[in-house]
Amino acid sequence: MKKWWSATGLVAASAMMLAGCSGTDGGNGSSGDGEGGKTTLTAWAWNVNVGALNDAMEMYQEENPDVEIQVEDLGRLDVYDKLSTGLAAGGVGLPDIVLVEDDRIGGYATAFPDGFVNLSDMGFDDNADLFPSFKQELAQVDGSYYAMPFDAGPGGMFYRRGLFEQAGVNADEIETWDDFLEAGKKIKEETGAFAMPLDKFKDDPTFRMMLNQLGTYYFDENGNIDLTSDEAVMAMEKLIEFEEAELIKEVDGWNGVVSATVDNSVAAIPFGAWYYGTIIDQAADSSGDWGVFLLPAFEEGGNRASNLGGSSWMIPAGGENEEAAYEFLEYFSTTPEVQLVAMQDYGLFPSLNSTYEEELFTSEDEFFGGQKIWELFANQMADVETPYYTEDYAIGLDEAIKAQADAFNGMDPAEALKAAAERLAERTDREINN
Amino acid sequence: MRSKTLVPYMFVAPAVILFSIFMAYPIIYSFILSFQSGQGSNMEFTGLDNFARLFSDDIFITALKNTFILLIIQVPIMIFLALIIANLLNSALLKFKGVFRVSFFLPAVTSLVAYSIIFSIMLMNDGVVNQFITAIGLDSIPWLSDPFWAKASLIIAMTWRWVGYNMVIFLAGLQNIPEELYEAASMDGASKIRQFFSITIPNLKPVILFTVILSTIGTLQLFDEPFVLTKGGPSDATLTIGMYLYQTGFRFFDFGYASTIAYVIVILIAIMTFIQFKVTGDQE
Amino acid sequence: MKTQNKIKKVSLLVVLIIGALVSLFPFYWAAIGATNTSGSMFSKPPTLIPGSMLMENIRNLDESIGISRVMFNSLFIATTYTILALFICTMAAYAFAKFQFPGRNVIFTIFLLSMMVPYHATIIPLFKMMAALNWLNTYQAVILPNLAYPFAIFLMRQNLLAFPTSLIEAARIDGAGEWKIFFRIVLPSMKPALAATAIFLFLYQWNSFLWPLIALSTTDMYTFPVALSTLFGLSRIDYGQVMAGVTIATIPIIIFFLLLQRQFISGMLGSAVK
Repeated sequence: MKKWWSATGLVAASAMMLAGCSGTDGGNGSSGDGEGGKTTLTAWAWNVNVGALNDAMEMYQEENPDVEIQVEDLGRLDVYDKLSTGLAAGGVGLPDIVLVEDDRIGGYATAFPDGFVNLSDMGFDDNADLFPSFKQELAQVDGSYYAMPFDAGPGGMFYRRGLFEQAGVNADEIETWDDFLEAGKKIKEETGAFAMPLDKFKDDPTFRMMLNQLGTYYFDENGNIDLTSDEAVMAMEKLIEFEEAELIKEVDGWNGVVSATVDNSVAAIPFGAWYYGTIIDQAADSSGDWGVFLLPAFEEGGNRASNLGGSSWMIPAGGENEEAAYEFLEYFSTTPEVQLVAMQDYGLFPSLNSTYEEELFTSEDEFFGGQKIWELFANQMADVETPYYTEDYAIGLDEAIKAQADAFNGMDPAEALKAAAERLAERTDREINN
Repeated sequence: MRSKTLVPYMFVAPAVILFSIFMAYPIIYSFILSFQSGQGSNMEFTGLDNFARLFSDDIFITALKNTFILLIIQVPIMIFLALIIANLLNSALLKFKGVFRVSFFLPAVTSLVAYSIIFSIMLMNDGVVNQFITAIGLDSIPWLSDPFWAKASLIIAMTWRWVGYNMVIFLAGLQNIPEELYEAASMDGASKIRQFFSITIPNLKPVILFTVILSTIGTLQLFDEPFVLTKGGPSDATLTIGMYLYQTGFRFFDFGYASTIAYVIVILIAIMTFIQFKVTGDQE
Repeated sequence: MKTQNKIKKVSLLVVLIIGALVSLFPFYWAAIGATNTSGSMFSKPPTLIPGSMLMENIRNLDESIGISRVMFNSLFIATTYTILALFICTMAAYAFAKFQFPGRNVIFTIFLLSMMVPYHATIIPLFKMMAALNWLNTYQAVILPNLAYPFAIFLMRQNLLAFPTSLIEAARIDGAGEWKIFFRIVLPSMKPALAATAIFLFLYQWNSFLWPLIALSTTDMYTFPVALSTLFGLSRIDYGQVMAGVTIATIPIIIFFLLLQRQFISGMLGSAVK
């Protein structure tokens, strides 16, 4: 009997010991003002954004010496798992600042209406005009701002100069998707390289860029399902044309795209400006072999501006430092110098319009054969159409990818999209256009 | 004598106390949640609606079918392989047993992060695996993009990862079989294969039952493999219930419906386990 | 007859070697990745020989995640967990296997059933609870929840069932106390099962990802899998670093396994029980 107690005691003691070894208490979001009136903001972000945030804080501290920031570096998807858990548990354990991709803002702000600070109440509307119109719309839910615009992903075709030259194709002369199709055939014949990579069964970035270019998306501005629109069908049919000409290289996920980028097996990669960073990191020995042209239009003279990806900052509600977080983020988002650092040091393409006047945006990039690629990206920003993600974006994406998979597995594109639209309507109680 | 009857309770007490604190609450909480529906914090009580919704939810039914296909094919293959390997590695004749044990067990130690990146790069269309296959003169295989091969990839990956794990359980179990049984059988002239079926398997029954139940639970909750390898695609061909549960909760924010799916998984596993107990006839 | 046996033995060995190679190849490949540049993971034909980048990749990794701190966190959490859980679970398993008592089947069934609840469904309430206890971002938040690990209880019970009850009864007649019986008679003969269970407990905690990710929130508290996951940004992944991390994270479990696996064969020599 005695031994039982000693055993239980042992367990209890070890538990106690553990409790003693606890780490810094960063869990409750705001570590308060503490001694000396210092405010420590906590933030969750991923990858290069962490550095950008820390650098910005250093610049901010020149004017505001009593604010500090502790940024936790997390995997991109891990941020969402943590954020969802904290919000679903009633808003506990959240940071003062969190980075959220634009396509998820609506989902979070709608599902957790009390979960985030309404930035319009804090006066953000005055700054709205500093950003391109599509970025403004993406940061709003029901007319109020819930996110502060940060980076964007203006679209482009990253191409291999060597492969183009070898096939005698001039990138400047590619204006439409049909031009690109012809060019792709030539390149394939001469060099064996595919026109572009695509994870046909798991992701649809090219389809999304095309939709954005055509001024539509999974949903329209009224929140109706737009997958059956003429534009959506046209985009999917165009992809299938490339597939039938055997110009699309099947790749697996992100690693697959990187792989195709590195091994010279695709001539072009349609992506957002942020892909620049990947290319210079992974294909470091191919300096000078790269170039960029705008996404081809669907008809001559048609829109070539597009955007893929981008993110914004949100402030979870209920923290002690809402005000301080807002002020810092406002500084971060609206100060061109900060955005320039983020761009120069971390490759995060800004959406703050005034940044584009900086010298960097007219400079030539050596890795890209001396091309003024940043100017090319910046110049399309004003023309980018708003992609209406809505709060059901995740389900829309799920169904659109299935439609693409079906189309690539042989189903008629229009039918595949129609079936997807119907499933989507069933799952979200939304109307289908047409 | 009173203390005598208390003895077993003393042995289970620490486990029961910890369990009631850290497991009971979450389990009851999610059970209650399974009668609610909505998005994020906008939840309302909907009674049994979620359960009714399951029956008309095509995606759930697809996921259910996929999960059972994986279960029926993968679990027997894996258990049988693990049994054979454990038996071979337990035989006194073999040299370098330690090296083999480590080799077969190693796949089980890969974490999700490592697993996802290594396999997705290896199984790419022009990845290492297909390069090897074409080098020996076969056609490359669309591992992750074809509905059939995507399922096969999952089965291969799961078997690769878990054979060694089950092998270790069997190896431990084999130590409890008295050597004399084999000696007697050898003297009677029974072959090794004969001994395997008439001595090893019957004596390992409790342990085999354990691994089968464990694998059933693991497969019905299957999340890691489809999540990292196929994202459930192409077109839901590899979507499992476990993955649909994750999507519903963490991606679509319907935590109520996600809990309902969780409890359907519990019910299914309970039924399967009950059947397995009945079929094998646990001694106690 | 002898040659036939030899052929059998050789072919057996060949099959085992092929199996072992298949099992090991991904690890070899990851280790090679750790010694090369980021892009070389994708070269064709595949890179299968070590490069010279290992030290640089490790240095970069250390800069990104702080290897020693992360290693300490993981080792501390996994070791503490394994010792406590092994003790708690074996005790419970012994009661389930060797005693008749009211409520036994009910309690055992509840443990079994809890194993069936998918862990995604319990994350949010568990998080809520840890927040209320003010235990977020602490070691105990990661260690305590699964100490009564049904898997381990079940595994130990199955092995204990095979332990001869007559020996326990004989000891009782000799006047040995219950604790003495458990520690001196039962446990020593369960070494193979205890070793296996310890390995599974350690492995479970070492690789555990989602709960540590959710429960821990500062970099200095991260475990290995959580820290590795931070290397995955939207578009920039240094594969050399990742592979170095993957390889380093595997080493402790291999050592742990090598240390304990001897126990698997110890039983064959015949312990005092048999």
